Amino acid sequence: MSRTSGTAPAANATQKGDTPSIRPRDLLSKEDCLEIFRQLYLARYFDVRLIKEKRLGHLTGTLYSSHNQEGVLVGSLYGLKPNDWISPIHRDMPAFFLKDIKFDWRRADRMGLSIEEVCAQVWGRVGSPGRARDNWSHIGSRSKRIIHSTSMLAGTIPVAAGVVYADRLDGGDAVCVTFNGEGSTAQGIFHEAINYAAVHKLPVVTVVENNQWAYGTPAELECPTTDVADRARGFGIPGLVADGQDVFDVYDKVMTAINYARSGRGPSIVECKTFRAYGHGDHDDDRANKYRPKEDVEKGRARDPIAICRATLLALGHIDAAHAETFRAEGKNASEAKNDDFPPEVVTFLNEGIEFALQSSLPPADEGAKWVFREAK
Amino acid sequence: MSLVVEHAAPVKKNYVTALKEALFEEMERNPNLICQGEDIGILGGAFGVTEGLQARYGASRVVDMPISEACIVGSAVGLALGGKTVMAEMQFIDFISCGFDQIVNMMATYHYRTAGEVNMPVVVRGPAGAYGGGALYHSQMNEAWFCNSPGLRVVCPSTPYDAKGLLKGALRDGNPCIFFEIKELYRKREIAEFLPEEDYAIPLGKAIVRREGSDLTFVTYGQNVYHCLQAAVELEKLGVNAEVIDIRTLVPLDEDTIFTSIAKTNHLIAVNEAPMTCGFAGEIVARVSEKAFEYLDAPPMRITRLDTPVPWAKPLELHVLPSVEKLVNAALKSVKF
Repeated sequence: MSRTSGTAPAANATQKGDTPSIRPRDLLSKEDCLEIFRQLYLARYFDVRLIKEKRLGHLTGTLYSSHNQEGVLVGSLYGLKPNDWISPIHRDMPAFFLKDIKFDWRRADRMGLSIEEVCAQVWGRVGSPGRARDNWSHIGSRSKRIIHSTSMLAGTIPVAAGVVYADRLDGGDAVCVTFNGEGSTAQGIFHEAINYAAVHKLPVVTVVENNQWAYGTPAELECPTTDVADRARGFGIPGLVADGQDVFDVYDKVMTAINYARSGRGPSIVECKTFRAYGHGDHDDDRANKYRPKEDVEKGRARDPIAICRATLLALGHIDAAHAETFRAEGKNASEAKNDDFPPEVVTFLNEGIEFALQSSLPPADEGAKWVFREAK
Repeated sequence: MSLVVEHAAPVKKNYVTALKEALFEEMERNPNLICQGEDIGILGGAFGVTEGLQARYGASRVVDMPISEACIVGSAVGLALGGKTVMAEMQFIDFISCGFDQIVNMMATYHYRTAGEVNMPVVVRGPAGAYGGGALYHSQMNEAWFCNSPGLRVVCPSTPYDAKGLLKGALRDGNPCIFFEIKELYRKREIAEFLPEEDYAIPLGKAIVRREGSDLTFVTYGQNVYHCLQAAVELEKLGVNAEVIDIRTLVPLDEDTIFTSIAKTNHLIAVNEAPMTCGFAGEIVARVSEKAFEYLDAPPMRITRLDTPVPWAKPLELHVLPSVEKLVNAALKSVKF
């Protein structure tokens, strides 16, 4: 990442596995590492709990599971500054409450949504930041600097570019991390927006969660290059590949891209190799072995980000062997995972969010016709 | 010895100058206004609407964008999310289809889906309209697409005064707006007019009666205003006194001005140069039929382009578009019903 602004990039600009001698993770404290571990549990618990709630008939929307992809979310978000922007999509629901959540999850001035707001959205209640006007992950917050997602894949990348352009005009140094699937890289706007960001050296980090499947289509039918990150070459920007199952590798690569962006050198693509644990949504029950060979799914889920993080912490001496035996959430699907597989504060935190959601009312019917236009001042 | 101060005599301004003045004045008035589009900076725009703007306000506020209408609109949405007001130019309004998803799914719905948290003060403007031999991809009037996408203002000025006042009104409205400029009018000398020295903005949603009449009402906008006015002159020779309403803003629509006119003339011909099926003339006919049916003495009519693209060769183009002749014939049929 040593290229300077304005120079023509070398033909081999794509940098796979190439990180500085001092990696971003080397600057993390033990407390940071433990917090990252805890956040993986939080993201996983959110997912398995909602699947349970849906199976109990408590939810009406479609769930897009982030199971097995938590390392991408936590690793991408952990190094952001509060004022940075993010742009999650459907499979990134935990990102809304993971943003700026470090240590004190209840901090009042957090630049992320509260668990209550996110749960109210999942339950379709008026306590959602969007007052339940669009479904599932289609929320956001201007004040918390989260771009509101839509169903149009890669459609928020130009929005991300625009919002950081505005921030730069105002003298800010915010970056925006956008999340996208590998399937969305087939969209024209993916390329148009990154081209624009590269021309203007805008601080946009495009994280591609390559979970190998875009609904029912495998990655090789979406993208002709082995690595999606290779697409970066055409824009003369860095393209990095991270092991999406290793939260610290994701952190290294995304932080490298964030630092590059913040210093004014422009956008990057960071591809995180991962695997979609379930069907596209909960309506797409791929346990039936319909379009994905069972062995592939088992193989893809074998490298659980929680287990890999635990092994890293053990090796670093941040946890001892006894600690390592508690909270064995890895490898367990929603039917198998129990509450005591997770740290108690994780369960409590989500329970409080759900409690809020259940007490939040449905929006009044006449709100359906409101806010089409801004009301006259 | 007296000091004589010579004032420049006021000059008539054409449509494109009016637009240019609106942009310069709004850039001056609102430091949060950003302009972006293809070739708008260094070149000053394909039609010169932004001529001199970048030299005056700099390349960071007047941005030459890569050829990507989707990105021009999409990044404008991001700028608005970041608190800016944006003028996004389409080099030809025909090209707006390349940015369609960003307009209808991202921009138009933003205020709605965030329950009012986010405003989208973005004006997407560009040259539109046929009659100039521009053929299929430089002649479109695709306003109906956007009238059918809730959340968008849709504006179409027909005079220099309105071009300036409505562009300012749109930039101050706070809602996303698709602004249809008539490129055949950009430099038309016959319509040049004196513009007020002082600042003025026309609020969206106010129609104007261009010609008063008692026997029949043409309701139209854009370039067809002039066809209707010419038809009215011909009709007067035949003893038919036509009123011409220029709606100026399609969304929101000033129904009152239309209904008041129909109550007087009892005959409606709605005119637009877009295709007939699901075009805006049909919307005008529908509203009058629903809400002012009792005033009608004849079936309301539409004169529009045929349901075809706009062809190039002159006879072909004129064949498919509304013309003075078609309007006169329709009017005679209506009043004789």
